[in-house]
Amino acid sequence: MASYINNRISQIHLTSNIRQTIVAMLGVIFGISMYVFMTGFMTGVNNVQNDLAFSSLAHIRVYNDRPADNTNIASKVFPNSVINLHNAKIIKYTDGIKNSNTILDALKSQKDITGITTQVNINVFFKNAGNKVNGSVSGVDVVNENKVFNTSKYITEGNWNELKQRTDGIFVAVDLAKNLSLKVNDNLNILTSDGISKNYKVIGLFKTDVASIDKSKAYININAARQLIGANQTYVTDIQINIKDYNTTENVINKIPPIIPFKTESWQMANQQLVAGSSLRDIIAIAVSLVILLVAGFGIYNIMNMTINQKIREIAILKAMGFSGQDVTQIFLTEAVVIGFIGGLIGLGFGYLIANLVNKIPFEVAGLHNLPMAYKLKDYILAFMFGLVTTFIAGFIPARKASKIDPVTIIRG
Amino acid sequence: MQTDVLLKADNIVKCFYEPVKFQVLKRVSLEVKRGEFLALVGKSGSGKSTLLYVLSTMDTEYEGSLIIKDTLLTNKKQNDLAAFRNEHIGFVFQFHYLLPEFSALENVMIPALKLNKKSKEEVEIRAYENLKLLGIHEQALKKANKLSGGQQQRVAIARALINEPSIIMGDEPTGNLDSKNTQVVFDIFREISKEKGQTIIAVTHDDDFANHCDRIIEMMDGKIINQ
Repeated sequence: MASYINNRISQIHLTSNIRQTIVAMLGVIFGISMYVFMTGFMTGVNNVQNDLAFSSLAHIRVYNDRPADNTNIASKVFPNSVINLHNAKIIKYTDGIKNSNTILDALKSQKDITGITTQVNINVFFKNAGNKVNGSVSGVDVVNENKVFNTSKYITEGNWNELKQRTDGIFVAVDLAKNLSLKVNDNLNILTSDGISKNYKVIGLFKTDVASIDKSKAYININAARQLIGANQTYVTDIQINIKDYNTTENVINKIPPIIPFKTESWQMANQQLVAGSSLRDIIAIAVSLVILLVAGFGIYNIMNMTINQKIREIAILKAMGFSGQDVTQIFLTEAVVIGFIGGLIGLGFGYLIANLVNKIPFEVAGLHNLPMAYKLKDYILAFMFGLVTTFIAGFIPARKASKIDPVTIIRG
Repeated sequence: MQTDVLLKADNIVKCFYEPVKFQVLKRVSLEVKRGEFLALVGKSGSGKSTLLYVLSTMDTEYEGSLIIKDTLLTNKKQNDLAAFRNEHIGFVFQFHYLLPEFSALENVMIPALKLNKKSKEEVEIRAYENLKLLGIHEQALKKANKLSGGQQQRVAIARALINEPSIIMGDEPTGNLDSKNTQVVFDIFREISKEKGQTIIAVTHDDDFANHCDRIIEMMDGKIINQ
């Protein structure tokens, strides 16, 4: 327990040379505010990145993958022979998921899942008079699609829910519409790879800000899509699943396989570049913040060291009067912790301020208006803890040195 | 059983190892009685200050034994010695060594607050009385670094007295003072040793100061030559 007199001495030290105290605090303030700002900024960037990615990507996708490649089966049987096998082919016997209802029922019983939507995705040619563009049409479950992908957010013209009733309606991506000179209420012809052609009426446009999607995608009602390829009422090509926390896909997938014979793929597996980008940004943010905190810690260490060298006689006299080594450590550690605590609090406020200012800087790219920023309580608490720990360590080393001062050598000179 | 002997040092041997091994104290033995006003004199390098710091319990690297108030202090832990000093020994140094950023009153209060046997209010009253005894109560709230040398030394004495220690040790307590202030400090020492029965051991160069003490211990080359 810190006694009254030890605290009083710490207090006098801190207040009698207020400029030195402020300089020490500035180190902490700078370190913590930068930490808060950097992590907020990086998290903001990651969130934007993920939002963009998840506009067309579900957390987990279930689909019918190609069967395994067994074209080298002969060479497995006769490993030492030379075998010439020309034009070997893998034949896929089934396409898509024929009976989706049983799978959907099984999936719905999983408690981590927050949304499921089914899709019939078809590669097609979009034709409008002379213009021909290849792309894909997504036959979607209108209500659930919106739940999983928030599609209605990207609609620039028309009403998303209209697609529920309109089996002849189609939503076209803006750039695709531009390339085909399409406007709302125009007709659009679709040609499938099986040679089936059908006309749809454009009832709306959408813009996702992902260029590849905006140039090649259209939505129709899922039943219209089934009709287009002549599939039954429960046929789907993809089941898209959203879960509570997109970082825990692994866990959810591990529970799913026994009940589903098809391929279940997480967004991480399908988009490793996103995962890599996001983790690299995290690493950079942490590295930069830690370096800043380290520098701040070193500053505190220096100032505490200086203070102790200045007060070396004072320490000797305290010891002569009966203060123990622990008392001396306590006095200087208290000073370091007070600097860390107050500096930390101011640093949090200052960091919030910087984050707020940067958040207001205009940034008109890919549907953004300002630089992204996240304000997570967890980051602020962590920054504060880091600051306290740093100042504690930075204060402890010189304080321990002070406790070991031999009063005799100092007083005798 | 309480004896009249307050401090007993037996065969104290002390060596310095820097820059070369040098024996400063050569089997020094010493007894000091309760209420004695004692002066340690000798030329520079005779070992008188070294002896004082061994007696003060601050210097622990010596051979021999030291007993104060029937307590064997040799080989005790630093923290125990610190607690012992706090309660039983008061110090007055040549360069007064006050905490410059504290007021005179607070400087006096510090050892008593450390001892933590009385409330802060009681300590404050006592500290003020001590300052008054030394005639500097009017400066009580001034910062220590704003006081003159003589005033600072008197504050230091008031501080040494605050816990009513059995022994007050002084390392050239008047070495930095003019003759008028020296007389003041001497008178104070004289008074407290006589009236309160506190023992005073002072290292001094000042022959005049020494001659008025109860007893003079003269040292030369690490030995007591005259006591």
